[in-house]
Amino acid sequence: MSILEQYGLLLALVLGIAATVLALFGIARAMGPTRREPGKDVPASSGVLSRDPVWGRYHARYYGYALLFLAFDMEMAFMYPWAVVYREVGLVALYDMGVFLAILFLGLLYGWSQGALRRQ
Amino acid sequence: MNFVIVLVALLGSVWLLAVVEGWTTTGRLRPAAPLLSGLAHLGRESIVPRTPDRVFFETAPVLLLIVAVLGAAVLPLAPTLVIADLATGALFINAALAYVLVALIMAGWGPNGAYAMIGGWRFLGQLIAYAMLIVMPITAVAMRAESLVTTVIVGSQGGLWNIVYQPLGFVLFFIAAMALAFRAPFDLPTAPGELGGGVDAEYTGVRLGVLRLARLTLVITLASATTVFYLGGWHGPLLPPWAWSLIKTLAVAVSMLLAGRYLPRIREADLMRWCWTLGIPLALLNIIVVGLLVLVVP
Repeated sequence: MSILEQYGLLLALVLGIAATVLALFGIARAMGPTRREPGKDVPASSGVLSRDPVWGRYHARYYGYALLFLAFDMEMAFMYPWAVVYREVGLVALYDMGVFLAILFLGLLYGWSQGALRRQ
Repeated sequence: MNFVIVLVALLGSVWLLAVVEGWTTTGRLRPAAPLLSGLAHLGRESIVPRTPDRVFFETAPVLLLIVAVLGAAVLPLAPTLVIADLATGALFINAALAYVLVALIMAGWGPNGAYAMIGGWRFLGQLIAYAMLIVMPITAVAMRAESLVTTVIVGSQGGLWNIVYQPLGFVLFFIAAMALAFRAPFDLPTAPGELGGGVDAEYTGVRLGVLRLARLTLVITLASATTVFYLGGWHGPLLPPWAWSLIKTLAVAVSMLLAGRYLPRIREADLMRWCWTLGIPLALLNIIVVGLLVLVVP
């Protein structure tokens, strides 16, 4: 199978699942109407409307981790092609990536020492 | 043809896992229960909350199901029994599973309910904890196989399974996979008994049915990924290759279930601290150890 055909198959899979779910929704709807009652559609919050708006600002207390995560996530973009040619290139590849990883790891250690790895 | 076989195998595994899950929770073995409760979901009322973000609310369950199946589509059951044998299979499954976060944030944001929203934001923190422990062990697997093609990765384990070759990577990947599938003890976004269901809280009827199906499919996909990357995929004596793949996948899924039943739920802050101060240094160590092994052992 060519690459294009494989991706076409995956796209067909996506559309097929969406269609199946829509069909399920259709069956559920065909079961009959439901009674409209006031208060039924209040989101679960112990029976009362929530006091504060839900779509407000949320204090992401893990932002220290999140910043470090960005650095590590970028690193992974380089790691996959490197991993494929690793054995072919040999020891040089280990040195190169070792230095790169060591610098990143020092960054992690620095962040740790400065209290970034803590719920703020 | 592969298409149908793989999907049927996936659905069958989901059904078996649902039966086992019911067995461990209620103590009764009822093979028909998942089908009956699935049918019951169709007949129940599916309420839309008062002021929802309708697009997010409707998309979330479907998206979760789609990414779970897309992940399974690149994982082989047998040497030729795979839907799409992509040249970048191991990368594709990462890309697909990244959308689990998107689906859960959508499910949290969509209904405009407090508990759901907290569940969604919590899962964002959980992603920051587990994500590196998914990708780094897979890198080490790709180093040994010299390829990202999933069938080649299984082929590279013919002599020695990766669970023996890189046990550290297996342990990290197994734990991270549980966190990614939000199984107990990492079920922070749903947190039954604490968040009123979290991201599940506002879903009812057929939408909840799709969400539960998606979640079970995700567990099977991750168990299958563990099998392909670490447990030698289809390799095994006597039985045909596809049977070994299915047996191993179900064994991993059930072991995830059992591990969750005997451990208390971990706090988000603790999970992140453990993952970053212990997990990531160990994952880097794993890459270096595997790197040396690959060069030294021919």
